[in-house]
Amino acid sequence: MFPWVDGFHWSVGHIVFLSLFFAVVLTILSTLLSAVWRTASDFRTHRATDMCWQMNFAELPETERRCRHQLAGRVLSRICDNAFDCRHCLKYAEFAALPVKTPSKNVGIGYSNQLLYHRGHTWVRPESDGNLTVGLDELAHHLIGRPDSVELPVKGSEIESNGIGWRMRKNGHEIRVRAPIDGTVVSTGGDEEGWYLKIRPRLPLDLRHLLREAEVPGWLSSELDRLQLQLSASKSQPCLADGGTLMPELMDALPAADWDTVLEATFLEV
Amino acid sequence: MSARYGMVIDLDRCTGCGSCMVACAAENNVPPATSRATPRTGLTPMLVRKVSNGADGAAKREVFIPISCMHCGNETPCVSVCPQQAVEVDKATGIVMQMPQRCLGCRYCMVACPYHARYFNWWDPAWPAGMEKSLNPGVAVRMRGVVEKCNLCHARLHSAMEKAAANRKKEIDPADYIPACVEACPTGAILFGNLADKNDGVFSAAHSPDAFRLLARLGTEPKVYYKSGQAWVRALAERDSERAKESEHV
Amino acid sequence: MSELLVVDRRWIARGAERSSTTRFLLWLVPWVALLALGIYAAGLCLYYGLNQTNMDNRFAFGMWIFLDLAIIAMGAGAFFTGFLVYILKQADLKPILNSAVVLGFICYSGAVAVLMVDVGQPLRAWFTFWYPNTHSMLTEVTFCITCYLFVLILEYIPVLLRNRQLRKVPSFLVFEHQLHHLVPVLAALGAFLSFFHQGSLGGLYGVLRGRPFAFRQGFAIWPSTFFLFILSAIAVGPSFLILVTAAAEKLTGQKLVQPGVFRKLGLISGLLLGVYVAAKAIDTLIWLNITSRAVGFAPWDFYSYKPFGSALLFLEIVPLGLLPAFLLTVPLTAKKRGWLLCGAALACGGILLNRFVLTVQTLALPTLAFDEFLKYIPSWQEVASFAGVIAYGVIVYSLSYRYLPMFGRVKGADTNVSVG
Repeated sequence: MFPWVDGFHWSVGHIVFLSLFFAVVLTILSTLLSAVWRTASDFRTHRATDMCWQMNFAELPETERRCRHQLAGRVLSRICDNAFDCRHCLKYAEFAALPVKTPSKNVGIGYSNQLLYHRGHTWVRPESDGNLTVGLDELAHHLIGRPDSVELPVKGSEIESNGIGWRMRKNGHEIRVRAPIDGTVVSTGGDEEGWYLKIRPRLPLDLRHLLREAEVPGWLSSELDRLQLQLSASKSQPCLADGGTLMPELMDALPAADWDTVLEATFLEV
Repeated sequence: MSARYGMVIDLDRCTGCGSCMVACAAENNVPPATSRATPRTGLTPMLVRKVSNGADGAAKREVFIPISCMHCGNETPCVSVCPQQAVEVDKATGIVMQMPQRCLGCRYCMVACPYHARYFNWWDPAWPAGMEKSLNPGVAVRMRGVVEKCNLCHARLHSAMEKAAANRKKEIDPADYIPACVEACPTGAILFGNLADKNDGVFSAAHSPDAFRLLARLGTEPKVYYKSGQAWVRALAERDSERAKESEHV
Repeated sequence: MSELLVVDRRWIARGAERSSTTRFLLWLVPWVALLALGIYAAGLCLYYGLNQTNMDNRFAFGMWIFLDLAIIAMGAGAFFTGFLVYILKQADLKPILNSAVVLGFICYSGAVAVLMVDVGQPLRAWFTFWYPNTHSMLTEVTFCITCYLFVLILEYIPVLLRNRQLRKVPSFLVFEHQLHHLVPVLAALGAFLSFFHQGSLGGLYGVLRGRPFAFRQGFAIWPSTFFLFILSAIAVGPSFLILVTAAAEKLTGQKLVQPGVFRKLGLISGLLLGVYVAAKAIDTLIWLNITSRAVGFAPWDFYSYKPFGSALLFLEIVPLGLLPAFLLTVPLTAKKRGWLLCGAALACGGILLNRFVLTVQTLALPTLAFDEFLKYIPSWQEVASFAGVIAYGVIVYSLSYRYLPMFGRVKGADTNVSVG
């Protein structure tokens, strides 16, 4: 009973019981409200994107978390423990100094030594005006072909590294492309232009986390190996490939494949 | 007023006629039983039980025991267990008051009562056409899904109090407050009154050597006493030794 | 149809092995049918009243209350595993924690659903909160179970939000992260609440002065059944968890947890069961020789009615008490899966029997000397309602297993879904 209800009278039992009950209810409510409040503040202070990325990264399978230096042949075997954020990796300087061992063969997909690549299959090109151009790399292009629709962020909006840069739709699948850098959207392009976003980067500019030059073939080679496994028609063993290039417009060419899995693995989603 | 209303029922006078049950049902607006009702799902705030001593032939003895709510005075089992205080002991009268409007129908009180004096409304109450004219306007009709029991015809106490107030009296006239079962009993087997009043006849009857209570050793201090000169009845009631082999509802 | 299959697959974690959509739907069909029957039976009771059951004025509590008490005892695995992991730091039990939470949620929500049908006026349920009777054990039970159900919901939400598609909503994922941080608080709160309501469920019967079969003396306001119920609940919770997880492993054909988890749960269950049996034996002796005699009830008064003879008491303590305690703890048997499951099943059976004895036998026995021993058989509506709850449990568990990360990575298994 509450004190204002007719017939109520204080007793030790009431005090103990009601205080315990209200303590419990308050704890439950404050737990819930605290979680809601902290969530809201995470969004306000722009920590949310990074948190989502950290949580998703932790649940990626080990094969998708290989350190760039392993893929580049600098170290034998290493799983990234820093969510691909080489800018804050303690070992980055040490490993980056080691020589790269590139595969001698043609990897089977095009890439450019002038571009910097993000693990989520976007490229970055620094422009003379200090802005950065962002586009989709060859491998992603070959998978998707011509997208059915593209949903780009509006001019002036912020994008965050490893957050969602832009979305595309193809054959009923939604592809969420991760943004490679932090910054403000200056202008948007599209499939025809060959680039998607022009970004004014957040300073100070640090692009260490992007793959470049001799590191890229090793990474692309492992990506193609993964694709080969994931796009196999049945649960057959991987076949010995003897070279060749990746076909374009794979989503149209192989409609029966498990594209949800392929796209999530390609674009670093759980 | 701080009375302790109770009853002393003379089992040597009870003939098992059941008038008390009928009067109780009429006074308290108990609905007629549906076709699917059984003795175990009936509503009988006053219930007369037929009890035998278990012997055969010439040695067989039977007695009728009217059982209603005992209005337990000490650690009243039903009061302490009701989760929403739909039962309470009225300090002014000692009557254990049931509030059907607050009752959730959890039936915990029914489990707690050792005298099985509480009854549940398993059905929606329904009176055949025309019979609703016989309803007692002083007593609320209960709804389906709540527990009810004897409340010592509290409506009659209320009327007695109103009458006393109208006559500018502080205390009620005992003759104005007589529960329906007491009034109806043709042999006068039920004596009703204020157990706290030494001058009241019920006080001396309750303290007579022949008086006893059901399950007295449980310590609930019931306010309904029974009287009998037959030793086997007393032993049975207090549950000291052998049990009756049969029992029937009237 | 193939559209449906693709969409369904999209909700299952990447790389997780789950049966095909068709097979899963076929699995669900009988349970959904049973649930529908249960809802219909419950609907009849709500619409026509409790005369649809075979309960009566003497059997005021029936099958539903017995099964509610049993289901809440089994659901104790949720809070107890949380207590073991977060408070006693038994990290090797972490992989089973999510499924324990789901199981607890199922047990408590099912019990509350049945309780709403069991009371005569469900819409008045809030009266207990507005006019609480601090002397009544049932008030305590109501408050604690309601609060604990909320705690379980809050513990279930993070599991739900880690679904493959739901986690794509950033606010869901961040909220899950923040809520997950606070789970130790919820675990402690859950342990506190569970301690009290498991005990109070025992207290419901232990305080009944009017029922010498159930009445017990105790410590302060708490009868001995208060403590016995807590002990038996934490003893049976892990066993029930073992049984359900083993059944899930059998049905899905996958290894869901390391065998060490089963053995540890079994050991804990067995040890607690042993302590419980010892405590119960002492309590029984006191009750029979002192408590009941003081109010004129001879001990074997309680056991002279067939089929509730003293064999029932023996059954509860030895074959369904000491024996499973032995099977679950002694390495000779505990190491073997078959014996472990046998022990767990016997333990659950023992607790079921204990709850049955206290709910049904208490009411069957006469109190007044001229009362009879009564019989009660539940009606089909009662059975169907409860079967509906079981079906609900199976459906929720199946859906949770299929679409949510219930179990962690197991070494050697090929899943790439992990527990947060």
